[in-house]
Amino acid sequence: MAADSAKSIFRKGVWGENPVFRQILGICSALAVTNLMANTFIMGVSLIFVTAMSNATVSALRRVTPARIRMMVQVLIIASYVMIVDIVLKAILPEISEALGPYVGLIITNCIIMGRCEGYARNNPVWPSFLDGIASGTGYALVLLIIAFFRELLGFGTVFGHPVMPSWWVPWTIMVMAPAGFFMLGLFIWVAYQFEKPEEKKVSR
Amino acid sequence: MKERLFSVLYMFVLALVFTSVVGAVNWVSRERIRLNQEIALQRIVLSVLDLLPPEAISKKEMQAIFRRRIRSLPFGDRTVYVAVAPEGDRVEGYAFPVSGPGFWGPIYGMVAVDAQVQKILGIAFYRHSETPGLGGRITEAWFREQFRGKPLHVPSPGRRFFYLKPAGTATGPDEVDAITGATETSRRLEAFLDQELKRIIPLLRQQRPTGNV
Repeated sequence: MAADSAKSIFRKGVWGENPVFRQILGICSALAVTNLMANTFIMGVSLIFVTAMSNATVSALRRVTPARIRMMVQVLIIASYVMIVDIVLKAILPEISEALGPYVGLIITNCIIMGRCEGYARNNPVWPSFLDGIASGTGYALVLLIIAFFRELLGFGTVFGHPVMPSWWVPWTIMVMAPAGFFMLGLFIWVAYQFEKPEEKKVSR
Repeated sequence: MKERLFSVLYMFVLALVFTSVVGAVNWVSRERIRLNQEIALQRIVLSVLDLLPPEAISKKEMQAIFRRRIRSLPFGDRTVYVAVAPEGDRVEGYAFPVSGPGFWGPIYGMVAVDAQVQKILGIAFYRHSETPGLGGRITEAWFREQFRGKPLHVPSPGRRFFYLKPAGTATGPDEVDAITGATETSRRLEAFLDQELKRIIPLLRQQRPTGNV
C-alpha cells in the first residue's frame, strides 16, 4: 500500500475507482454546475486543489493526530482550503464565483475529499496522498466536463461559450436545467460500464 | 487524561493555525473583492440606465463612463445614482436599488427612471436565490424588457404600481407577464417592487436631486 506508483494511483482515481461514476460520490455538485463548461472547469480545478492539499495535509499530520478527533481535524483542514478557494475566486474571477454561487462553499461537504482523506491519506505518506488527491479530483473533473460538454452543446449550442451549432439549431432548454444532469449522468455511467473489460465486471458485481 | 488534554490542545493549535491562514488570505484579497463588487454594481447601474454601448467594453472603459455620467448620492435609506447628460448640464435619469424577499431568499434589483420620474427606463435583478430556469428567469432579458418605458403613475390606495399577470395576458400599462411555473417568485416580486416604488417614487418626484450639475 505504501509503495503505490504514480501510474496506478492515477489509473484508479481517473478510471478504476473514479469517484463519480464508480463510487457515485460528489453527485450534488456534478448535477448543479455542469450546464456550462467554463464553470465546470473552474469547479473541477478547485476540487483538485482542495482534495490534493487536504490529502497532503492530513497525511503530513497523520502520526500526531489523535485517532478519535481525526474527523474534526479533517473537516477543519478541508474547510480552510475551501474558504481559501472561495476567497481567491471572488478576488480573481468574480463572474464565475457568482455563477457557481454556493457550490464552491459546498465543496466542504463533497464526499470525495473526506473519503480520500479518511480512506487513503490517513495511512499513506504525503507525496502519494497528494497525487491521490490530484487523481481523484481529475477523475471528478473529467466526468463533469464530459457531462457539461453535452449539456452546454445541446442546451446552449456552444462549447466553452463559443457558438458551434448551426444557426437553425433550437437549444434544448431541458439540458440547462437540473433534470438533464440526472439524465446525462445516468447515460454516462451506462456507457462507461459498456467499456469495462469482462473480467472486471465479474469482480465488481 | 493526558491524552484528552493533548487532543484539546492539538485541536486548538490547529484551528488557530488554519483560521490565521484563511484570515490572512481574506485580508490580502479584501480590497480586490470590494473593487470587484463595486465594478459589478457600476455595470448594473449603467445597464439599467441604458448607458452601456451595445458592444462589449472593458472594465476601464466602463468605469470611465460611470465616472463621467453618474453621480451617486445618499437619498433616504439608499443610494441614488443620478445620470447626467454627456455635457454635464442636465439630469437624464435616476437609478436606485430595490430589494425584498423572493421565494427562496432575498432578491436584489436596480430600477432606473427618467429625469421627470414619469416612466421606467430599465430594471434588473442581479442577486437572488430563485430556482434556476423558473424563478431564476427574472434575470432574463424578456422579463426585464417588459418594464422598459412603462409609465409610472402613483396608484390609488389599495392598488399597485405594477401587476404581474399570467404569461400572455398582460395588456394594461400597469401589467407585465409573470413567469410561468414561478407563481411564488412572481407574487413576491410584485409585492416588494410595489412597496419599494411607493417608498421612493413620491420622494424622488418631490426632490428631484440633481447631484450638483
